Formats: sequence, C-alpha cells, structure tokens
Amino acid sequence: MEYIQISIDGILYGSSYSLIALGFSLVFGVMRRINLAYGSSLLLGVAIALWVENKLNISIIFFIPIVLFFCSLSNLYVERFCFAPHNTKAGVVVSMISSFAIWMQLDEISAQLLPDRTHSFPSLEISTFEFGGIFFRGDQILNIFVAFIISAILFLVVYKTRYGIVLRAVSNSADTAKLMGCNTNLVNSLTFIVAGVLGGIAAFLVLSTESQVTPLFGFWCTVKGLVAMMIGGLGSLTGAFWGGLLLGLLEAHFSYQFGPVFREITTFSILLIVLIIRPGGLMGVNIYKDLKSRDERI
Amino acid sequence: MSLYIVTILTNMTLISFIAISAYLILIVGEVSFGQQAFFGIGAYMTATSTALLGLDIVVALCLAFIVSALFALVLSFLTVRLSGLYFAVASLSFAELLRLSLYKVDYTVETNSGTVGPNGPEGFQNIRWIFENNISPENFLVIALSSLLALIISLIFMENSKLFKNARLVGKDQIVAQSIGIRPFFYRVSFITLAGGVAGFGGGLFALFNTYIEPSMFGIMLGVHGLAYSIIGGLGYPLGPLIGVFIDIGLLESVRFLSEYRMILFGGLVAAILIIFPEGIISPRLVSRIKRKLVEKNNA
Repeated sequence: MEYIQISIDGILYGSSYSLIALGFSLVFGVMRRINLAYGSSLLLGVAIALWVENKLNISIIFFIPIVLFFCSLSNLYVERFCFAPHNTKAGVVVSMISSFAIWMQLDEISAQLLPDRTHSFPSLEISTFEFGGIFFRGDQILNIFVAFIISAILFLVVYKTRYGIVLRAVSNSADTAKLMGCNTNLVNSLTFIVAGVLGGIAAFLVLSTESQVTPLFGFWCTVKGLVAMMIGGLGSLTGAFWGGLLLGLLEAHFSYQFGPVFREITTFSILLIVLIIRPGGLMGVNIYKDLKSRDERI
Repeated sequence: MSLYIVTILTNMTLISFIAISAYLILIVGEVSFGQQAFFGIGAYMTATSTALLGLDIVVALCLAFIVSALFALVLSFLTVRLSGLYFAVASLSFAELLRLSLYKVDYTVETNSGTVGPNGPEGFQNIRWIFENNISPENFLVIALSSLLALIISLIFMENSKLFKNARLVGKDQIVAQSIGIRPFFYRVSFITLAGGVAGFGGGLFALFNTYIEPSMFGIMLGVHGLAYSIIGGLGYPLGPLIGVFIDIGLLESVRFLSEYRMILFGGLVAAILIIFPEGIISPRLVSRIKRKLVEKNNA
C-alpha cells in the first residue's frame, strides 16, 4: 500500500515536470534550439504578475491571464534578444550561451522584484480526497489533467492546423520554408509566445500547489523541464509528457528510500544514464542509427 | 594597495582559472557547463591535503590538479559519443552529481584550532594554511597571479604547436580533421582532462584563500560565469577569457553603485556582445588577420 501511495504521489508530482517539459519541447521541436532561459523567463513573468497583484489587489480570476501575459512577454524578449540574431546554422551554440546569459539577468531581476526568500502564491484550494485507502491531492489531479489536455491540444495544433503545417515546415528546414513563403521570423516568435503561455499555465499550477514562490523556481523549472524532455526524447511532445511522469515516479521512490538529497541526485543520475545509453531519449529517435537525425544533432 | 582592491584582484585571478578551463574545452568544439565541479573537487582536495594530512602546498596543488583531471577523464570517457548540446547537458548533470555527493561527505577531526574536515552541507572549515604560514593577502595575490601567468604563457607558447593546431581543427570540423588523419577522440579526451586539471588547480587556490568552502559555492552559476567569460573573450588567443573576467568583475563588481545590478547588466551585456561579435571579441579570424598584417609589415 505504501509503495502504491508513493508511486501515485510521484506520478502526480511528475505532472508538473511534464507541463514544463512540453514548453521546452515545443521550442526545440520547431527551432532545434534549447532555450535555457525558459525557467527564469517564467519566474520573471510570475514575479511581475505578483508585483502587479500587490499593487492592485486583484482576484485570482484576473491573476491567471496576467501571469500568462507576462510569461509570454518575457519569452518574446528572450527570443528577440537571444535567438533572432543567431538564426544561422553556426548560431546554435551561440544562442544557447546567449540564453544562458539572459538566464542570469532574468533571475536577478526577479530576485529584485521578490526581495524575500519566499512569497505566498494564491492557491486554488482544492481539497485532498481518499479513494480505496490512497490519498490524492486534488490540485495535483488537476495538474495531470491539464498536462494531458494541453499535450492533446498541442498535438492537434501541430498535426491538424495550418499553423502546425508551417511550424513543421520551419522545423524541417527553415531555408526551404522561407523559399516557400513562410515568414519564419513570425513563426519563431509565435512559437515562443505559445511556449510562454504554456509555461505560464504550468508555472501557475505548480506554484499554486506549492502555494509559495522562491527565486530558485527558475532554476528548478529549467533543470526539471530539460531533464524530463531529454528523458522522454528531444522534441517529442508525447515523450516530454511521459518523461515528466517517469521522472516524478523515480524521484519519489528514491527520495523515500534514501533521503531528500537523493531527489536531486536521482534527477541528474537518470539524465546522465539516459544520455550515455540512449542520447536521443527513451521515446525519441536513436540519433546514432538514423542518418538524417545524426546530421541534425547539435 | 587597499585590502578591497587586493581581494578583487585575487577573485579575478581565481575565476580566470575556470574561464581558461572552459576555453580549453571550447577549443575542441564542445561547451561544458560543468567546470565548476572540477573547481570544487580541487578545492576539497587541497583543503583535505593541507588541513587534514598536513601536506606541503606544492604537493597539495599538484594533487588537486591530478585528482580533478582524473574526474574530467571519467567525464570524457562517459560522454565519448556525445557532442554539442548533449555534451553540455551531460557535463552539467555530471557536475551537479559530484557537487551533490559532496553533501554526503562527512569526515571531521577535532584539532586545537577547531573542527577540521568536510562536514556535509556545513562545508569544510578552518583551512588555516594562510594563517599558519603568515601569508598576507598581497603575497597570496602574487602567488595566484604568478601561477596564472605561468599558465597563460605556456598556453601562448603551445598555441603554435601541432597539438593545439590539430585540436582547433577538431573543434572546427571533425570530419575534415578525420579525413587528414587526426583522431578527434584523442584530442577531446586530452583537452577535457587538461581543462579539468586547470579548474582543479584554481579551486585549490580558492580553498586556501577563502579558508572555508561548502558545496553550494560550486553551483552552476560559477561555471556559467566562467563559460561566459571565455565566450565573450573569444577563442582566438589565451588572453580572451581574461577580457571577460575583467569586464565582469573588474568593471561591474568593483564599481559600487553598479554591483547591485551586476548580474542584470552582465547578462544583458553578454547577449549584446554576442550579437555584435558572435565569435567573441578576440575571435580566431581577428587573430589570423593581425598575424597576416604583422607578416606583411615584416616583409615590407
């Protein structure tokens, strides 16, 4: 019974990793770029929204759109500043480093906006319930539900809509897409805005389950999202979803067995093992067998 | 010189070691987010060998170099199939694993000057080498600066050697390098190992100067700064990383009214510099252009 309870807790907690990994995956899938400033741009969005909320005293219904707005705005800033100037093939590593530098900047701005170590965050107040002797946290159930719905919607958007066709064209070959008349600049910016909205939803849900925000949230987001995405498979939306749940499950068991430090140790050991054994991720392509993706690897 | 300036200069010298180790890995075409771990290993190694074992300082620093180079060797063998982004993330996770395992290292000894030894999250306290040998901050600065200078001068001399030229070719284009008979594997492994050793040496000096170290000092932000310095400095010449160090610590941290916003300014500055100079300020292209100019002048 104990093991079932831990597994359930772990999977439910892992749903927040899935949510963040989806945003990462979207950007990587389209631009073949890693946005390392993703977590801190979400933190900045949340920090500005909290600051606005403090000034204006608004209710939670208006608070959510403000979070989403500022998250996508800070993501757009990252795209314009770090990714748009380096859109050539040689710019892959440069843009990654550049986003790394912006990570420092955004983290520091957020730390200035949130001067205390912890800030309370409005929570949704959904009660915990029991089913067959196992406890479920209501807000985490909501998280996994939202993660599932978002990945379904993303899947539909990417494979069924006109925007999705353009998106996949740009991801396949930006130059060819440009020749066919796609505005690749606009697509890239739109992708970052969508990733920002996604990340805003993720950040809101995660923080309302924790009901507090610390300046470390940005680092947490980036690392967990990156790990979940790389476990699942780079650029694969379903892989990101399952990777997050798997990460949550393993972390819960290891930290229960060996103590809290092992939560982080598990995260990085899993990542290292997956990278060494199967660098393309568990559900991604095997980058050493598939010739086309080998050429594409960065 | 006032103590403030001496401390700033010493910090600049110590972080230059990380910047140079990041530079060495960048030469073979990889990006490492993990140099801070080797810095930390070197620091712990030096602290252990001076404070616990009572070894000589030269032996301690050599040990720091060797042990962190060994860890880097392990990393390079683990990541032999990876490159680019995959290598960057693998080095990050390797570094974080090493740092987190330092939280579990617990071995303390009581001496007359207090508790000595690694003590998990509490860190390693009472590294009293500086006090025992009556080294003033100025003298320590001279020691650190002269080892940095020795490193840079040897790098400048090695710049024209076959080893470095081949390594640069491996970094530029592995396939071309392979086609003329250069084995990328050898260069990757040896440069990653060397970089680990350099970072460890710097870490050793850091432990002696700081007299107290703890695992949280060697977090990812340290490595990011080192990497950013060598990236904006450029890969053309070993002096490149020092430019980055100078801009960040020399200009931003030492000017008091700027230091509160240092990270904000520096982060934006790095991104802006990368837009103007995508290959860094002293890029390989600039260096070869200057060399050509010098040759023309000599011929004329």
